[in-house]
Amino acid sequence: MSDIRKWFMKAHEKGNASAPKSTSSKAGPARNAAETAPLKSEQASEDLETAARRKTSKFFGKDKTKVKDEKEVEEIPAKRKLKTDSDDLAKPRPRKVTKVVDDDDDDDFDVPISRKTRDSTPSKKLKSGSGRGIASKTVDNDEDDDGEDAQDKETPLKAAGRGRGGRAAPGASTGGRGRGGGRGGFMNFGERKDPPHKGEKEVPEGTPDCLAGLTFVISGTLDSLEREEAEDLIKRHGGRITGSVSKKTTYLLCDEDIGGRKSEKAKELGTKFLTEDGLFDMIRSSKPVKKSLPERTNKGTEKICAPPKTSPQKEETRGKPLAKSSPNKVPPAKGKKKIIETSLPWTEKYRPKVPNEIVGNQSLVTQLHNWLSHWHDQFGGTGSKGKGKKLNDAGAKKAVLLSGTPGIGKTTSAKLVSQMLGFQAVEVNASDSRGKANSNIAKGIGGSNANTVKELVNNEAMAANLDRSKHPKTVLIMDEVDGMSAGDRGGVADLIASIKISKIPIICICNDRYSQKLKSLVNYCLPLNYRKPTKQQMAKRLMHIAKAEGLEINEIALEELAERVNGDIRLALNQLQYMSLSMSAIKYDDIRQRLLSSAKDEDISPFTAVDKLFGYNGGKLRMDERIDLSMSDPDLVPLLIQENYLNYRPSGKDEAKRMDLLALAAESIADGDIINVQIRRYRQWQLSQSCCVASSILPASLLHGSREVLEQGERNFNRFGGWLGKNSTAGKNRRLMEDLHVHVLASRESSAGRETLRVDYLSLLLSRLTSPLQTLPKDEAVSEVVDFMNSYSISQEDFDTIMELGKFKGRENPLEGVPPPVKAALTKKYNEMNKTRMVRVADMVQLPGVKKAPKKRIAAMLEPTVDSLRDEDGEPLADNEEENGSDAEEDSEEATDGQKLESNLKNLNARGIQVELDLKGAGSSGSRKAAGKGRGRGKAADASAEKKATGRGSGAKRKR
Amino acid sequence: MLWVDKYRPKSLDKVIVHEDIAQNLKKLVTEQDCPHLLFYGPSGSGKKTLIMALLKQIYGASAEKVKVENRAWKVDAGSRTIDLELTTLSSTNHVELTPSDAGFQDRYIVQEIIKEMAKNRPIDTKGKKGYKVLVLNEVDKLSREAQHSLRRTMEKYSSSCRLILCCNSSSKVTEAIKSRCLNVRINAPSQEEIVKVLEFVAKKESLQLPQGFAARIAEKSNRSLRRAILSLETCRVQNYPFTGNQVISPMDWEEYVAEIATDMMKEQSPKKLFQVRGKVYELLVNCIPPEVILKFMLSQRLLHELLKKLDSELKLEVCHWAAYYEHRMRLGQKAIFHIEAFVAKFMSIYKNFLISTFG
Repeated sequence: MSDIRKWFMKAHEKGNASAPKSTSSKAGPARNAAETAPLKSEQASEDLETAARRKTSKFFGKDKTKVKDEKEVEEIPAKRKLKTDSDDLAKPRPRKVTKVVDDDDDDDFDVPISRKTRDSTPSKKLKSGSGRGIASKTVDNDEDDDGEDAQDKETPLKAAGRGRGGRAAPGASTGGRGRGGGRGGFMNFGERKDPPHKGEKEVPEGTPDCLAGLTFVISGTLDSLEREEAEDLIKRHGGRITGSVSKKTTYLLCDEDIGGRKSEKAKELGTKFLTEDGLFDMIRSSKPVKKSLPERTNKGTEKICAPPKTSPQKEETRGKPLAKSSPNKVPPAKGKKKIIETSLPWTEKYRPKVPNEIVGNQSLVTQLHNWLSHWHDQFGGTGSKGKGKKLNDAGAKKAVLLSGTPGIGKTTSAKLVSQMLGFQAVEVNASDSRGKANSNIAKGIGGSNANTVKELVNNEAMAANLDRSKHPKTVLIMDEVDGMSAGDRGGVADLIASIKISKIPIICICNDRYSQKLKSLVNYCLPLNYRKPTKQQMAKRLMHIAKAEGLEINEIALEELAERVNGDIRLALNQLQYMSLSMSAIKYDDIRQRLLSSAKDEDISPFTAVDKLFGYNGGKLRMDERIDLSMSDPDLVPLLIQENYLNYRPSGKDEAKRMDLLALAAESIADGDIINVQIRRYRQWQLSQSCCVASSILPASLLHGSREVLEQGERNFNRFGGWLGKNSTAGKNRRLMEDLHVHVLASRESSAGRETLRVDYLSLLLSRLTSPLQTLPKDEAVSEVVDFMNSYSISQEDFDTIMELGKFKGRENPLEGVPPPVKAALTKKYNEMNKTRMVRVADMVQLPGVKKAPKKRIAAMLEPTVDSLRDEDGEPLADNEEENGSDAEEDSEEATDGQKLESNLKNLNARGIQVELDLKGAGSSGSRKAAGKGRGRGKAADASAEKKATGRGSGAKRKR
Repeated sequence: MLWVDKYRPKSLDKVIVHEDIAQNLKKLVTEQDCPHLLFYGPSGSGKKTLIMALLKQIYGASAEKVKVENRAWKVDAGSRTIDLELTTLSSTNHVELTPSDAGFQDRYIVQEIIKEMAKNRPIDTKGKKGYKVLVLNEVDKLSREAQHSLRRTMEKYSSSCRLILCCNSSSKVTEAIKSRCLNVRINAPSQEEIVKVLEFVAKKESLQLPQGFAARIAEKSNRSLRRAILSLETCRVQNYPFTGNQVISPMDWEEYVAEIATDMMKEQSPKKLFQVRGKVYELLVNCIPPEVILKFMLSQRLLHELLKKLDSELKLEVCHWAAYYEHRMRLGQKAIFHIEAFVAKFMSIYKNFLISTFG
């Protein structure tokens, strides 16, 4: 395959002079970057020597040949240009015009540098031609440049400037494609202040590695770039970004000195300050440096890309120049062939061979090593003694439990350590059945795997016998123990039992240590928690592998990869291998693009999702991205959208148009609600995508833009959806309303529905309850109100409910102007009346076979004097005993009361109603409790009830 | 006791408004077996009063001896059991309940209660098997499934159980149910009738009604007798003796809705929409049904104001959208979304209208 590629390139070189540029720059940049200027020149001379490079060196070896070539180049693209440029020309040109100023000072800046670095080949024409070298991204524009260069041959300096201008266009366009960010500052709409000149500056494109070795810290708001964009720019050019200033920091990137901690620290350490323009200049200035390079090394680089960048190795290659360079012509190809031939996944091929190779978690590996090596000292010998020892030494456990996210080397380290200590590792993983061992071991070990395990654990001798000669000791690795489930009945319990009796060390491996299944196991194991390796650690290892595979990739790109895969080194390797199939040099952008989707798997908070959907480039998101965003929380995102869509101002729309859009969005949100009902009520889950389109994506795409504040003093962040809170308040009020409704119904004066009660009755009820308090003298008012309350069985709680519901925001409180003493008197009077109040209580009819006790709320609702009840409920028994004692004393008092009540009762009984008597004092708590619990009275209560039953003749009724 | 309840006619003979219907009903139950009945008509027209009077006619005084129960059902629905709870109002001979309170599980309630009632049939004094009456309120809010299941049960148990259905709009009741019932439409009383009733109440309470005061109340009441009597009493509470030009204050929430409508007419902007949303939330939190909000918003204010601007076409359009969103509100769950959609739509239409006419 690589041969074909090679052939392909050559063909291009011959056929089209512009092609080598693109190919070479594809292979070149990663490597170019690592090289510093002196090295380059050195190499240039070396290049000249190399026979393999003859062909290419004719381009720049001598001026004469070059001129010729130049002409060739000019002719071909010129022709092409006619074909393709009719539209292309139109685009880049206007841009160039706007950039003229920039370019001008660029030129001033550029010239000295380019001269310096190009001592060996100081041709101006070369410079003009070199414009092609970098702009590898879009061929069309490239040719455009070439054409211009050709035209401007006489004034090369100017040409350079122009060429750059032209190049800016492809740069911008690729940027837009890659990140959706575009050249402007249309980046995420975050909390940070907007850059003042967002998107107004052209973002330069330099050599990929022009910032290599430099460390940046960004502080404050930049002039035109969003923070993310700036980071991206620096990373793309090989720079490193850190969060805080340290000695290693090369530059502090900030446009305005806001005097924060970073800048103070930087001043202290003497770190250089760099403005955004400075950064741009740095990047721009890198271009000429690079320009000369790809041409010089044009094909050569391609061929010797195998030798890695670090200087010692380079020395080596340089040491044996000719002899080696000719065979070197093919090494990458060979390397690749090898891979294909062996067809071993890199993850297997580069699995660490010694414990030191394991990335990260070295201390844990050491711990594991120590544990395993001391295992036999501790638990060896006779089993019983070992156990005893274990009990004494609390720290020592007979098994270890390695835990951590996938792909960070748990299994590898377990195997390596046991291998190193000369243990024979027996691995049992989820693919083996690990159910509870058959208790009848006599069946033999020929049976299930579980039995084998048991056997292994039980009988050291036998286990060892399996392969006595080589491995005297055995270790059992139980992989994926958290995967023990349905099939492995009793697996964990059995494992624990095995650990207890085990005569060999057991290493258990799991992903989630806090899994419910493993709760019991953890107690028997020494927990070793693997952490994700840092990205630097991973990058180092990856670099090592990439080198060995002849893959060109720089450290920054690898770090990015490491970050994207979230610590999973196995995944990183797989990705790397996959990418290596299609390209031999991998750049930062490639990784970004490749792993863009996998990065999405992380959790996004609904707020971030809504921010993105509504953001400036919400319109540029792909549909699947939008669905991903709104599906990140299908319940909350629509609510947030609904809450905030009013705040967004779609760009370029006038007020009337915006109102139309709002109406559309609102309708779409309502659609979403309707679909949601279908989903939830009729379980039409296949509609969930439509729901998310209707409730989130459409409104967001209609209205995305800048957020503005509707209320004074509001923070310009998305609010949390108000619906949840309001709905629960509404629900609470509805319940209270229902209580009131039931009471009113129970009074048998009205049979109004709940809705009618609220819509029609409530305002009159309110004024009947409040206006006497406001107008009449205290006593009169209070008694009138209490009378009214009694006639409708309105309890104190209901009173509050009515007040609450009658209150509207921005209106005065209905109880306004009622002095506190009156309120107090009302409460007192109401409670006083409680003594003689008869309350009609909703009956607790139990259906046959239904045992459900009434909910407390309902029980309470049916109870008029809840407050006092609660107090007494606290110590029911004590109360009841007291009652028994006090009953006798109060009998006389009650006699009078009782007579009145009796007549009342008879009256009511005649009407066939069930009545509960509420008497403050003696009987009250007993009977109340009856109402509260619905059934099953306490013994004491029973007694008192019966006592009164004779007196009132209502016992039977009350007992039901 | 409130006058509405105090002067509610307790028997069919005492009914003042809808006298003809009352007489017909009386004949119906005395002469022959009572069929299933469906009462429909706007609120405050006297459906409930007629039903209660009818029950009294059938069962005598015992129909008044009702008790409030909080009943729980355990329904076996295939693979799972559903716990349901509902407040019922029942006497020995009838049960009254609002099945739509059970939300979308209303159909279980309907099925269960009818079966249960059919199980224990009462025997009347003459030893003849009688029937029980089940009064279902707000049938128009029953889910479609419940209405369908009602259809079958109605026929199956018709020998032991009669249904009296009560709702505001018969258009939301399925044809199948309507055809199984005797439909009784209760009109909203005319203004004259309301005035008559108000004067009757005033006489009983020995109040002095100034000239035209009753008429004004009747006018304000939107032809709801209940509201008329309630607002008469409100006026009485607020100020007595009445003065000829006494303000008949609207309901608290009416005022609030009116405020919203005025807001909508005054300014059409996202900011206003946001404020309107806050106010609508306030109403919903205070348990005002969303349909009522929407309807009142439209009927009382917007159309009124639009009439002033003399644009009937716009009025039609607004009505159309109001109906559209009201319908959707019933399909959906979160009423605020639909009300807001209507408000946004109105603002959008109105703004465009203003721009096109006044520039």
